[in-house]
Amino acid sequence: MSNLTQPALDEARIDRPGRASNILAVVRLHLVNRYSVFAVPWMIMAGIFVVNVAIWWIIFASVSNEADRMDARDGLEYSGALFYIFVYMLVLGIQSVAYTFPFALGFSVTRRDFWLGSALTFIALSAFFSACLTVLASIEVATHGWGLGGTMFASFYFGGADASWIERFGLYFASYLFFYFVGATIATIYQRWRNNGMLVVFGTLGLVMIAGIALVSFTNSWPSVGAWFDSNGPSGVIAWSLVPTVIAAITGYFILRRATPKN
Amino acid sequence: MDDSRPIFVQIAELIENDIIAGALPEESQVPSTNEFAAFHRINPATAGKGVNVLVDDGILYKKRGIGMFVASGARDRLVAKRRDQFQNEFIAPLMVEAEKLGIGETQLIDMIRKEGTA
Amino acid sequence: MSAVVEVSHLTRRFGDTTAVDDVSFSVQKNTIHGLLGRNGAGKTTLMQLLTGQDFATRGEIRIFGEHPVENSGVLKNVCFIKESQRYPDDFKPRHVFTSAPWFFPNWDADLADRLIADFRLPLNRRIKKLSRGQLSAIGVIVGLASRAPLTFFDEPYLGLDAVARQTFYDRLLEDFGEHPRTVILSTHLIDEVSNLLEHVLVIDEGKLLIDQDAETLRGSATTVVGTRQGVDSFVVGREVLHREGIGGLASVTVGRLTPQDRARATEMGLELSPVSLQQLVVRLTGSSRTSSSQTVLEQSA
Repeated sequence: MSNLTQPALDEARIDRPGRASNILAVVRLHLVNRYSVFAVPWMIMAGIFVVNVAIWWIIFASVSNEADRMDARDGLEYSGALFYIFVYMLVLGIQSVAYTFPFALGFSVTRRDFWLGSALTFIALSAFFSACLTVLASIEVATHGWGLGGTMFASFYFGGADASWIERFGLYFASYLFFYFVGATIATIYQRWRNNGMLVVFGTLGLVMIAGIALVSFTNSWPSVGAWFDSNGPSGVIAWSLVPTVIAAITGYFILRRATPKN
Repeated sequence: MDDSRPIFVQIAELIENDIIAGALPEESQVPSTNEFAAFHRINPATAGKGVNVLVDDGILYKKRGIGMFVASGARDRLVAKRRDQFQNEFIAPLMVEAEKLGIGETQLIDMIRKEGTA
Repeated sequence: MSAVVEVSHLTRRFGDTTAVDDVSFSVQKNTIHGLLGRNGAGKTTLMQLLTGQDFATRGEIRIFGEHPVENSGVLKNVCFIKESQRYPDDFKPRHVFTSAPWFFPNWDADLADRLIADFRLPLNRRIKKLSRGQLSAIGVIVGLASRAPLTFFDEPYLGLDAVARQTFYDRLLEDFGEHPRTVILSTHLIDEVSNLLEHVLVIDEGKLLIDQDAETLRGSATTVVGTRQGVDSFVVGREVLHREGIGGLASVTVGRLTPQDRARATEMGLELSPVSLQQLVVRLTGSSRTSSSQTVLEQSA
């Protein structure tokens, strides 16, 4: 614009802290409320664990036959109890964009620094939580299911009792990341396009899923779908989950790049 | 502060009044612009403008690094200025109004005397 | 003097509505600006554009000489306090004040502590449970203690009682005196802040109506009251900002009067009364606004 004076930026006039410090500030912002970041997820998990222990105890108290007990033990390997805390991660992902993003912008953070700082935070948190779960799974295996033969951490979906600790860690980690980034990206759609965006996205997603199911059903391909899951095993499936995770992380950034926080 | 006139003019008048009343003696330091602003709840730049009017008139003077001071002879000059203003702003309209109401000169002087003894 | 904010032909459209319509102005360093206008006039959108939170449809914005959007160097020096600010779930005021220094390099913790005491803000209550006034107090405290070279307050006083608002104005003036910076204050309570402002921007339906020194604006309009006949003959040839009347009486707001005009009005038995900034804004942005309002003020300025 010709009618604007365009002074070269007067460096002395404004402070310019480095980008790294901005990103680090976002990380610290996410972690400032230690109670809800660290305490709440473990409280949820402790609650689930207590309920599970109670269930195991009831099962093994009521089943006395040794063969039946083996059956019960096999069945318990398919425990999905751990998924609750991954859902909690999904919620954290949504909240980080729905609440922390408008707040961070109010604190003069750029969208780029917010997204990078948030990604860094949740990668670090995922690593930390995964390490804790890995330790708990090892204890579970070593104590033969907390002395009750139950399974929560070393469940079939996370490699079962035979998985190495590295495999388990990787599975937990990939799951955490998947749920965080998918949650965060869904929330970016809302920040950018509000209700209409959500309707369009979930509408499209629903249609795609119905179409996919129809396609598989009409071509009688369910056995090959099952075979795919079998051949990849839980580790393979969850490793594949990194693809949508990365896609979500990148898409989320570009959606948020043009989003304006509103009420 | 009244709405009809610029605030800086009103601030200048307030300081003048303090000088005339002796609240701000000659060669004494006057409050800083920020103190005026905070006290009267006005913009500091506006308060500064009011103070500068008095500096330009030679009523206040700046001592570098210390602050503003009342110039010597400031009070007498202000009183002289205000007397002129009194003539223009009070006496002249008074005469206009008196004439309108048919109040003669002697009657007017009587009325002023009466007001003085009351 | 250097311009901290420069805006040129700025337009922001949302579908059919034009929230900000071809606005150009600049804001000088270390001044307190008032951004005034009715609800929905475009004040918040304008501030969101200036702080890089929203995106211009057309036009240019320079903050400290640079584009604000995604510019962390510029934004570090900007603080935008919004009436409707969202806070992370389960946040308590203490989380806000703990994290603020990480984002605002000039943060003054002592000032923040003083303000927390002034506003009697409970630090350990969840923000969701705070009253409207306490919520506003958080914003006011962040806005003042951040000492950002460019600070925006968008209706910061919602729910604050008269005492708390006075505290805000007093602390603002006090801290501004010691640490000069550029403040842009958007408010409805014009009478309360008119003396604090050095410059006034009035926006209506997205258009900039007034961009004027507050002192020049003061006394730029006068209301003439008297018999309809008298008033009509006095205002003939002048542009009229506003007119109302009952029976034989008329009350007409016109632009700046010279001392001669005033003397003439007095002779004609008309009453002159000053128009406050608030009345002026109401006159200009009210439904009966005439297109000539702006020119009257420009001529009288």
